[in-house]
Amino acid sequence: MAETTQLELVTPARTMMSAEVEMVVIPGSEGLFGVLPRHSAMLANLQRGQLEIYEGGKVTSRFMIDGGVADVSGERVIVLAERAENLDKVSAEELDLRAADASEADKDFLMAVKAAI
Amino acid sequence: MPNLKDLKNRINSVKSTQKITSAMKMVAAAKLRRAQEAAEAGRPYSNRMQDVISGLAAKADASSAPALLVGRAEIKTHLLVIMSADKGLCGGFNGSITREARELIAEKEAAGIAVQVYIVGRKSGDALRQEIEGKQFARVDNVQGSHVTFGDAAEIAAKILEGFEAETFDSVSMIYNRFVNAITQKVTHTSLIPADVQATEDADAGLSASYEYEPDEGELLGALLPRNISTQLFSALLESTAAELAARMTAMDNATRNAGDMIDRLTLVYNRTRQANITKELIEIISGAEAV
Repeated sequence: MAETTQLELVTPARTMMSAEVEMVVIPGSEGLFGVLPRHSAMLANLQRGQLEIYEGGKVTSRFMIDGGVADVSGERVIVLAERAENLDKVSAEELDLRAADASEADKDFLMAVKAAI
Repeated sequence: MPNLKDLKNRINSVKSTQKITSAMKMVAAAKLRRAQEAAEAGRPYSNRMQDVISGLAAKADASSAPALLVGRAEIKTHLLVIMSADKGLCGGFNGSITREARELIAEKEAAGIAVQVYIVGRKSGDALRQEIEGKQFARVDNVQGSHVTFGDAAEIAAKILEGFEAETFDSVSMIYNRFVNAITQKVTHTSLIPADVQATEDADAGLSASYEYEPDEGELLGALLPRNISTQLFSALLESTAAELAARMTAMDNATRNAGDMIDRLTLVYNRTRQANITKELIEIISGAEAV
C-alpha cells in the first residue's frame, strides 16, 4: 500500500474530514500546491479554490474551500478553512436553499460552490 | 383565617408556573446538548488557529510586528465587546456579565482611557443603558441561540477591524460567559487587540525552525490575525450560547423545585383551613343542638 499522510480539514464549526490520503492538492494564495507524504514543513495562506484528494493517481474527492491556512508537516496536513463544502455531497438545489438566508459573504461562496459542482 | 377559595387559586397558579418552568428546563436541557456539541466541534479550529498564530508571533520581530499583534503604543480609547444573552430567565448569567462590564468600564475610565462598547445580545445592552449612553460603538442582537454562524462572527470582526483602522479605538477586549460544565459558567475577559497569544496545551513542539512560509511570515501573520479575531468571537459565541442554556437549565430546575415546595406548603395550609372550618361547623351544630 502506498504511503499516506494524515489530512484534516477543519472549519470553525466542525472537523469536515480526517483521513489518510495519498496526495492532496491545496489552493494556496501563491498557487496550487500538492502535498505528498514526507512533505517539508510549511505554513501556507490559502485562497478560495478546490482542494482535491488523490487516491491511486485519481481524484477521489473534492472540497471547495474559502480562505484559511494550511499547516503541513512530514506526517500530516491540517487545513483550516473558514468555509468548506464537500463537492460530492452537495446539490445545486440545496445550495440555493441555503443561500436564500445566508449573509452576503456566505452567499457568494455558496454560489461559487454551485458553479464548481 | 385564609379563604379556601383563595388558597385553591393560589395553589393552581403555582402549579401552572411549575409546569412552565419544568418545560423550560427540559427545552434548555435538550438545546444544551446540541450547543455543547457545537462548542466542542468548534474547538479544534480555534485551538489550531491559536497554535499557528502563537508560533508565528514568536518569530515576528517586535519592531515590524503588526499593530493587531502588539497593539498601539498609546491607548486612548478601548473597545469592550460585551456578550450576553438575548433572553432572561437564566439565573445570574446576564447579571454577572453586566456587573463585570460595569467594573471594567469604571476601571478603564479611572485609568484615563475612554471606553466604547460593542453590545452583543439584548440583555446587557438594556441593563447597562445608562452607563453606556453615548459610548456605544455598535450593537447586534439575536446572533446566539440555535443558529450561531461563523458569518455572524465574521461580521462583528469586520466592524471591529474597521473601527480599529479608523483609530476609533486602540485596543479591544471582550467579556463573555465561558461554558465550564452544566452547572458552572465563568465570566471570561480576553484581549482581542493586541492578540492574546497562548499556545494551547496540545501544541505539538511548536513550529520548528525548518518551516517554510508561503507568503513570508509577515504577510501570513497579517492575513491570519484578522481571521483570528473572527475565530475567537465565533468560539466565544458558541461558548456563551452553551453557558446560557446551562444557566437557564439550572435556574429553571431551581424554580421548579421552589414551586414544588411552595405547593406543599400551600396544600398544608389549605388542608388545615379546611379541617378548621369543619370543626367550627360541627361545634356550631352541637352547641346549637344543646341549646334546644
